[in-house]
Amino acid sequence: MAADLKYEISQNAYIKLVLHALKHNTTAVNGILLGRVNPQNENVVEIIDSVHLFHSNLALLPPLEIALIMIEEHYGSQGLGIVGYFHANERFDDVELGIVAKNISDHICRYFPQAAVLLLDNKKLEAVPKGKCQSPVMQGLT
Amino acid sequence: MVSKTQETQLNRLENQVDNGGGGAWEYLCLVRMLKVRRSEKVLKYGLSILNDPKKRSALGPEEWTLYEQVAIAAMDCQCLDVAKDCIKVLQKKFPESKRVGRLNGMLLEAKGSWAEAEKAYSSLLEDNPLDQVIHKRRVSMSKAQGNISGAIELLNKYLEIFMADHEAWRELAEIYASLQMYKQAAFCYEELILSQPTVPLYHLAYADVLYTLGGLENLQTAKKYYASTIDLTGGKNTRALFGICLCTSAIAQVSKGRNKEDKESPELHSLAATALEKDYKQRASDKLGLLTSALRSLKT
Repeated sequence: MAADLKYEISQNAYIKLVLHALKHNTTAVNGILLGRVNPQNENVVEIIDSVHLFHSNLALLPPLEIALIMIEEHYGSQGLGIVGYFHANERFDDVELGIVAKNISDHICRYFPQAAVLLLDNKKLEAVPKGKCQSPVMQGLT
Repeated sequence: MVSKTQETQLNRLENQVDNGGGGAWEYLCLVRMLKVRRSEKVLKYGLSILNDPKKRSALGPEEWTLYEQVAIAAMDCQCLDVAKDCIKVLQKKFPESKRVGRLNGMLLEAKGSWAEAEKAYSSLLEDNPLDQVIHKRRVSMSKAQGNISGAIELLNKYLEIFMADHEAWRELAEIYASLQMYKQAAFCYEELILSQPTVPLYHLAYADVLYTLGGLENLQTAKKYYASTIDLTGGKNTRALFGICLCTSAIAQVSKGRNKEDKESPELHSLAATALEKDYKQRASDKLGLLTSALRSLKT
């Protein structure tokens, strides 16, 4: 395990993901995190942008493949790579990473071993309008 | 399942009502007919009609349907007090009604009292064992509690009786896919294609599942179904066009070591690629470069 990896997520990336999850509040949603390793400090991964992917049929391969190809092309030209995966579960109290999410994130980890996996904590999301400052649940990957 | 024209009409009405242009009742009727899930809007506009005595009396006997619609929307938005009030009104008007009994069961569900809701539904089912809505509520209760295998079992039993319920087959297919049980999901889509062969959505979903399953035979069948989707939609379905490109490159990869002659594939692939490029030029010309490089990486 790498020692003490830190992740910094930009506001833009974070907001895009949360808004997408809020818009499709009746289904599971997922997204890809883009960024790079901090050139000054190897132990910090900067998540600079995000692309939200699907809000239905997350488990099908063809749309995912095309999306990943295009994302890599587009952000590769900007110097960013895929650094992680975001997932929000369908059910309110489901805080586990499901099979599909695990598979996709394992796959991303193969290409970028320091990949981050963000799972939206629905209970914290519910508390957001009440003024509390919350963050999505983070899980590191082995 | 909603067609594109119906969806545009619905969105247009929604915009109109949102911007104060009236037409709330037509919007609510359309939502009810199309069975879409727009609970926040339904709640807002339904309540505005119900709380205004003049508008309410203008509805006549439709008033009770609106109460039911708003009650369900309120439960979806977790406004349980609103739901309770609506149900109370309905109960006063129709004291022995099974429909109101169903709403009461749904309210228990919304509160999370699963055992009591299950009891309510079972007793309703005793009187009427062929009530489709209640069977489906029990499936959604299992799903909501996280008991996916229970949901699958109940849904299978339901489909043994009500084989023609397309939405139920779709739901089952999606559940199977989310558990990565793609063979079973493929079976569901096969049933759907058999009963409604002209609906392109099922062909597309079936092709996606076959591609996910993988293997040369499945990839070739997937390509055929992407082609049939394109046929049924007059070439406008972007996902199917992409699907063809993915299939041809996957088939080429799988059959690299073998001597299979796939003479028709380069034509199909280039046709699909050209169609995609034309589409992108029209609708998203700034992304055209992205598309060409993506397609190039697929050709290898």
